Amino acid sequence: MSSQINDNGYFQKRKLRKHMVHLFLLPAAVLYGVFQLYPLISAALNSFYSFNGFDKDQFIGLKNFIVLFTEEPYKSTFFNAFKHNWIYFGVTVLTQLMISLLLALIIHSKIKGKELFKSIFFLPKLLSVIVIGFLYSLILNPTRGALNNLLEAIGFEELTRPWLGSMDTALFSVIFVDSWASIGFSMLIFLAGLQAIEPEIFEAAKIDGANWFTVLRKITIPMLGPSLLVMSVLVFIGSFETFEYVYAMQGSSGGPYYSTDVLTTFFYRLAFGTTDGGQSIGLGSAIAVILFIIIGLATTIMLLIFRRKDFDR
Amino acid sequence: MKYKKLILFMILLIASGMLFACSDKDSKSSSSEENVDVIELNLYSWRPEDRKAYEKFIEVFESENPGIKINFQPFESTEYNTILTNSLVSGSGPDIVQLRPYSGTKSIADNGYLTPLNDVPGVMEIEESFLEAAKGSDGQVYGVPTTLNAGVIFYNKDIFEEYGLEAPETWDDLLQVSKELKNNGIIPIAQAGRAAYLLSMLHGVISPSAYGGNDYVDEIIAGNTDLTDPKMLETLERMQEIEQYFPEDFIALDDNDVQALFYAGEAAMYINGDYRLGTFETNAPDMNIGVVPGLKADGPNNPLVMNWVDGSYGVVEHSEHKEEALKFIEFMATKEFGQLFSDELNRLSAINGVEPKHELVQQITKASEANTTPYLLLVYFGEGSPTTKTVFEDSLQGMYLGEITKEQVLEDAQKNVERVATEVE
Repeated sequence: MSSQINDNGYFQKRKLRKHMVHLFLLPAAVLYGVFQLYPLISAALNSFYSFNGFDKDQFIGLKNFIVLFTEEPYKSTFFNAFKHNWIYFGVTVLTQLMISLLLALIIHSKIKGKELFKSIFFLPKLLSVIVIGFLYSLILNPTRGALNNLLEAIGFEELTRPWLGSMDTALFSVIFVDSWASIGFSMLIFLAGLQAIEPEIFEAAKIDGANWFTVLRKITIPMLGPSLLVMSVLVFIGSFETFEYVYAMQGSSGGPYYSTDVLTTFFYRLAFGTTDGGQSIGLGSAIAVILFIIIGLATTIMLLIFRRKDFDR
Repeated sequence: MKYKKLILFMILLIASGMLFACSDKDSKSSSSEENVDVIELNLYSWRPEDRKAYEKFIEVFESENPGIKINFQPFESTEYNTILTNSLVSGSGPDIVQLRPYSGTKSIADNGYLTPLNDVPGVMEIEESFLEAAKGSDGQVYGVPTTLNAGVIFYNKDIFEEYGLEAPETWDDLLQVSKELKNNGIIPIAQAGRAAYLLSMLHGVISPSAYGGNDYVDEIIAGNTDLTDPKMLETLERMQEIEQYFPEDFIALDDNDVQALFYAGEAAMYINGDYRLGTFETNAPDMNIGVVPGLKADGPNNPLVMNWVDGSYGVVEHSEHKEEALKFIEFMATKEFGQLFSDELNRLSAINGVEPKHELVQQITKASEANTTPYLLLVYFGEGSPTTKTVFEDSLQGMYLGEITKEQVLEDAQKNVERVATEVE
């Protein structure tokens, strides 16, 4: 009898403990709900309404989405910004990922002062985006900027140009600055990946007579698969969510003449307007929903492709 | 048992948090109960830089109206619209609000957030064209316009004297003077183009004498012509003709960059709103500055001065202290306030009969009184998402970068006018 009571007490405690776990999740769940779920759901709902500048006006179904894709000037602005997001992604993968991989390889090799280099490369990540944007606006200034002055001083005067004021160079300049600031982070991810590879594998390859390039191609890169996957997904998300550098350096209009306009700056102009007005919360929310779908879909597809390759094997 | 205690503890924690939140409110109301005679009003503005001047205005008002305390709460201009919209929708915060002119006021008034001010003494004595900036669609006045802006050409008097040049009066004079300056190695006009609104401003200053001033404005309002009118095309020809007198790569330059050129004496002229006068006096107090308030059209006449109302102040409809807030609005409509405003900030007051203290402000005010024309794009094309003004100035950037022609600039702007019309419907 007494053991039955004890058993019951034991099970009750276990049951209670099980529920306690849920209770501990509560604070995080509340924060997640308020700051993540609520904005997400309300933005999704807003995209189905027209606004009178202040409040929801009426339910208009998919009209905001139809307007974005079929009516000018929205249609051309949307596809122009969308194109820039893809360029942003492509160039960032080529520059940021390749350079940071190279830096990680250098630091991983037995060089002196690697801790110092690691800190130096990571340093820009600690600066505020606004500070970096402002500094690079000064550096890239056509008349008194350091870059053009340097080019002139070393005899490359023909290379000087209005980096942020030309349709040809503005977007690439912004991407360069973003990559410069983010390189330290991706380098750390690659470095962690490199350190996870057993040193015996490299030694065995060396004994078999493999040169540096063969080791890189046949061992390092394939075994860095998980890190490459993480970084590719992060760079994709970052390229489609990018806003701060464009806004800090080129303003919400993505100037000059929309040459650095991306989906988030287009969203910002519509959702918040400018000092002259021009606010349209419904259309802005529709862009936010489209962005969410693009990022969600592409990330899922990338994860599926990489999973099929089965890195864990 | 332990777990029960823990659960109890967490519930108490949440409950105490709620109590704390409530107690904050309670403490506020009890403190206002203590000062039952003093009513506090919150005034929202987008002019943090004018804080000292506003504190003086408020001091004068409070000395005349004991029992009312005004809290001046300025926000960054770029954030202001969002902050104002949110506080109006949530019904918290301001009693008196600074209002963006024209379509900015109209949208807030039309949504029922503002109190009509037609019956406030002094308001209806303000110049009718200035009141237009503060009206709702129902024709009622919802704001007291305080500041009048003028788009002007500032020039460095010393440089002009050095090369024996006279301040330009007409478009041809401007080109002639610019040519002389360029030949002498001086940048004629410190123009920036990175922020597209500066191109709209330039257009507003140099164009009225080309499109025929208010006659064209009247025609366009009446719907007898539109933005693709040949007269408008002529204004863009002017914009292209004058480009040779701008700094190199001006589209990549910020307003601050070109202001620096103007201060340093590397550039002789600078085109912007008269409100830059205060900036110059802070940053280059010893600079000998002259002003051209506008360009004359052909023949003997006064220069056409491009004016627009910068902003006005209105009372929130749901304010708990509307009566007191209206008293402050009444004060803002007096000549006493107008004079204080003009003296403290060196700006053009929208109140009749104010005598500016500053010599250049006096010159601009006189010229405005003699021959004024509205900032066409801002006053009549400031509606829609995007506004036609935004489309126009962004397209001007495209024109200067060689991406589109001047005809396309006007076509894009006109197409937007037509789209906005359906959007408003």
